[in-house]
Amino acid sequence: MAALCRGRHRWKTNSLHVFTRNLTVKYDYDLVVIGGGSGGLACSKEAAQLGQKVAVLDYVEPSAQGTKWGLGGTCVNVGCIPKKLMHQAALLGSAVKDAKKYGWQISGTVSHDWATMSDAVQNHVRSLNWGHRVQLQDKKVKYLNLKGSLLDEHTVKGLSKAGKETILTAKNIVIATGGRPKYPTNVPGAMEHGITSDDIFWLKKSPGKTLVVGASYVALECAGFLTGIGLDTTVMVRSIALRGFDQQIAGLVTDYMEDYGTRFAWQSVPKRVDKLSSGALQVTWTNTQTGNESQDTYDSVLWAVGRAPETKALGLDKLGVQLNKETGKIVVAADESTSVPNIYAFGDISEGRPELTPTAIKAGKLLAHRLAGQSTELMNYNNVATTVFTPLEYGCVGLSEEEAERRHAKDGIEVYHAFYKPLEFTVAERDAKQCYIKVICERGGDQKILGLHFTGPNAGEVTQGFALGFQCGASYSHLLQTVGIHPTCAEEVVKVNITKRSGLDATVTGC
Amino acid sequence: MHYATDSFLVMAISIQLTRTRAPCFFALRQKLCSSFPRHRLIRRSMASDPAGADTTRFDFLVIGGGSGGLAGARRAAELGAATAVIESHKLGGTCVNVGCVPKKVMWNAAVHAEYLHDHSDYGFDVGSVRFSWETLKAKRDAYVSHLNRIYRNNLDKSKIQTIQGHARFTNDSEPTVEVNGKKYTAPHILIATGGQPSVLSDAEVPGASLGITSDGFFELETLPKRSVIVGAGYIAVEMAGILSTLGSKTSLIIRQTGVLRNFDTFISSNCTKELQNNGVDLWKNSQVKSVIKTDSGLEVTLITKDPEKKNEEEKISTIQEVDCLLWAIGRQPNISGLNIGEMGVDTDERGHIIVDEFQNTSRSGIYAVGDVCGKALLTPVAIAAGRKLAHRLFEGKKDSKLDYSCIPTVVFSHPPIGTVGLTEEEAIKSRGKENIKIYKTSFTPMYHAMTTRKSQCIMKLVCVGKEERVVGLHMQGLGCDEMLQGFAVAIKMGATKADFDKTVAIHPTSSEEFVTMR
Repeated sequence: MAALCRGRHRWKTNSLHVFTRNLTVKYDYDLVVIGGGSGGLACSKEAAQLGQKVAVLDYVEPSAQGTKWGLGGTCVNVGCIPKKLMHQAALLGSAVKDAKKYGWQISGTVSHDWATMSDAVQNHVRSLNWGHRVQLQDKKVKYLNLKGSLLDEHTVKGLSKAGKETILTAKNIVIATGGRPKYPTNVPGAMEHGITSDDIFWLKKSPGKTLVVGASYVALECAGFLTGIGLDTTVMVRSIALRGFDQQIAGLVTDYMEDYGTRFAWQSVPKRVDKLSSGALQVTWTNTQTGNESQDTYDSVLWAVGRAPETKALGLDKLGVQLNKETGKIVVAADESTSVPNIYAFGDISEGRPELTPTAIKAGKLLAHRLAGQSTELMNYNNVATTVFTPLEYGCVGLSEEEAERRHAKDGIEVYHAFYKPLEFTVAERDAKQCYIKVICERGGDQKILGLHFTGPNAGEVTQGFALGFQCGASYSHLLQTVGIHPTCAEEVVKVNITKRSGLDATVTGC
Repeated sequence: MHYATDSFLVMAISIQLTRTRAPCFFALRQKLCSSFPRHRLIRRSMASDPAGADTTRFDFLVIGGGSGGLAGARRAAELGAATAVIESHKLGGTCVNVGCVPKKVMWNAAVHAEYLHDHSDYGFDVGSVRFSWETLKAKRDAYVSHLNRIYRNNLDKSKIQTIQGHARFTNDSEPTVEVNGKKYTAPHILIATGGQPSVLSDAEVPGASLGITSDGFFELETLPKRSVIVGAGYIAVEMAGILSTLGSKTSLIIRQTGVLRNFDTFISSNCTKELQNNGVDLWKNSQVKSVIKTDSGLEVTLITKDPEKKNEEEKISTIQEVDCLLWAIGRQPNISGLNIGEMGVDTDERGHIIVDEFQNTSRSGIYAVGDVCGKALLTPVAIAAGRKLAHRLFEGKKDSKLDYSCIPTVVFSHPPIGTVGLTEEEAIKSRGKENIKIYKTSFTPMYHAMTTRKSQCIMKLVCVGKEERVVGLHMQGLGCDEMLQGFAVAIKMGATKADFDKTVAIHPTSSEEFVTMR
């Protein structure tokens, strides 16, 4: 039956009007997707377009603080979208200061109103929630606002808010329920009094003086935009910032933030959080180097100490779906299959995958094609570019310098680098000492690029094209052969010519 | 002492062997040069000068201290050539003094004007705001002067002699130039004199000289209240955008119906629309007939005639109280006074110096790079061409030349434009309509999700053949200025649409739309 199904669809590849008569009479659906986030929505819409009968289940369990949201998952509701909008607000905060240098006389003090910003952010998010609903409808994907769990490899149980059960059967089941922020388990008062990234974008009033615990990109991005809109913000770091990223660049990003006004409590771990009668939160922490204890009070404590997969309620143990014991994530093969036939998993919930929206979207679409028998192409998880939207943005693709050294040895790589000054910083009299470019190449032959790192304004926009070049196998000479675009920041990437090995000053001067 | 003799010999040989040098000879020469004070080399070579004691001799003589000339001179000096640069004005040329740099500073200022509109949407209360052109100009001028000094220091550090004044080729048998009565010669002379804005004479348009050009724009001491820009090229578009956004009531006079007519029509029509959306008063099918000066400013008289409507009569209109009339009708090469005609250096009908792909002019030993050649008038092009030439002349890299294909370029309009490679029209012409596939998208950038002010981002890929090789990429929207460079690398590498598709997006950006297009 399955073979017949595959055959049917193969010759209908290009038809948008494949009618979706279900030949697999045994099941209600060809595909049931649990999780209506970036990956789940992309997979279900793609499958439906390929003629599959598809249902997607999405249900948002409220956060510990009671925050809820609509369809679209982390990215749309409590991730990429609201964080970038708030990052843009913060950039405008810096822009006001620059504007004065550019000849604007601004009388009085500049103030920021949290509610105006968060209302606008939330309205945009709601419009996206609605947009996703409409798209599912247009593409004939059945949307069910139910909490899904597995009964067997072809059966999903959906539970409504009111406790009503719905049973769905499907030829294939895809799990794309993503992850949620973690709370520490050993800090009294942490969950009771603290918020996470699930809450910050939906606060009705300003978080005020905030302690952000953690130094992941989520922690630094949140601390960055809070500082940028004028809030007293402290980041508490246990060991290093931006683990997994190039550590020289991580240092530049946090240096910039310190200059920008974000406070850092390095080598510190929180011990307890107490709510005072005034309503303020008193945080006690220990310095891991000295063992000294310190205390301060905050209006909000935001935990950004990592994310955990949403696997508990899925009933995976009963089916024997293999999980990674440490992370709790689902173990998957290159084709996103789990240890149980007909059950697939991808996105943030699957072990070893980058926790990024675009990889989930792409992986979901490719999975839909394979499940519909349209292709055998696998997702390539290598060479994924990413950007951290900290006050000084950081974009990268490929290896960090540490990783390149580990794989190719110090003698096997050539690192070209440049400290450059964006033209927009000059008149604004802004310090550009953290604006930096690093291109890590193989030392011999064509000097193939192994990693490319950029800090500066518009890093996300700058990096995408280079990620394409990287995908095409760009070498250092390809950069040199490309004429620069003047005056931009991006042109500095094709102008890098000082090697770290030479020890020469890497500061760019003149045009 | 025998060192000095060696260097004398090397110098003498180098003059004769410029076209037939072996790489090993070069290594030796570079080593020698780097171990000697430069002035000694020059003095030695002067002593050996057959043309006479009053002619100073160099290895490389560069006429024009702009982007191309300075880049070529510095690279040549690095490679061991005794080099001099002749500049009549400020170091840095058009780009630094009256082009890219001050233009982008003004554009950045205009972007702040746009941000100030958006602040309240993002929750900021900035109170009352007043713009001071004077403050901006002072800071911009200070920055440009700072760059002039950097250029001067860079030349000094590279031991390049700077000669202040106008260069004129003499009638000596060996190509020689005269500056302020002193003669200079070299086996390799580079002309990098750039260009300047074209102007109309009062005979062509009565009162034309009452207007300014982009050079004059950078001298304006106050923000004009009422501006009229004439022209449809990128300079006209940029100037109109800056003035209008900073608060000058601006009219743009174009001869036909759209701006940027040599760009892809997708961009041309969108940019025309964006100008109008941003409040620029656009006069299509129009030309300036005359300009007169009145007590309340200039009065600009226009003729408007739609060529499609043959029966309609020309319409005459006037714009009054204009305090800034800016001609942006093109640029012309700086060749007057050089006496290149006498040198057998060929020029085209517009005066551009004709060069081959190696930047050779028709006269051996004389080269030209940059705007004076009239091709791809862009700073990075001149810089790259100057450096490539230096490597060819002084490092023996015989094939060193600039590839003029796939040069990316950005227009700092509102919002900015980025473009690289062929337009759809060019691709159809060269490859046939049936071999072209176009991908397009347009969307509102996420930045505007929060703002009442809106602008679109539009993107287009021009693909050729079965493999869908991307031969053109065109876009206009927020961030397109910084987006283009990486894509230009990939397109130069021969990227196909499949390569775009294989690249994972960076979310949330505008640029990700290029790798998710269907």
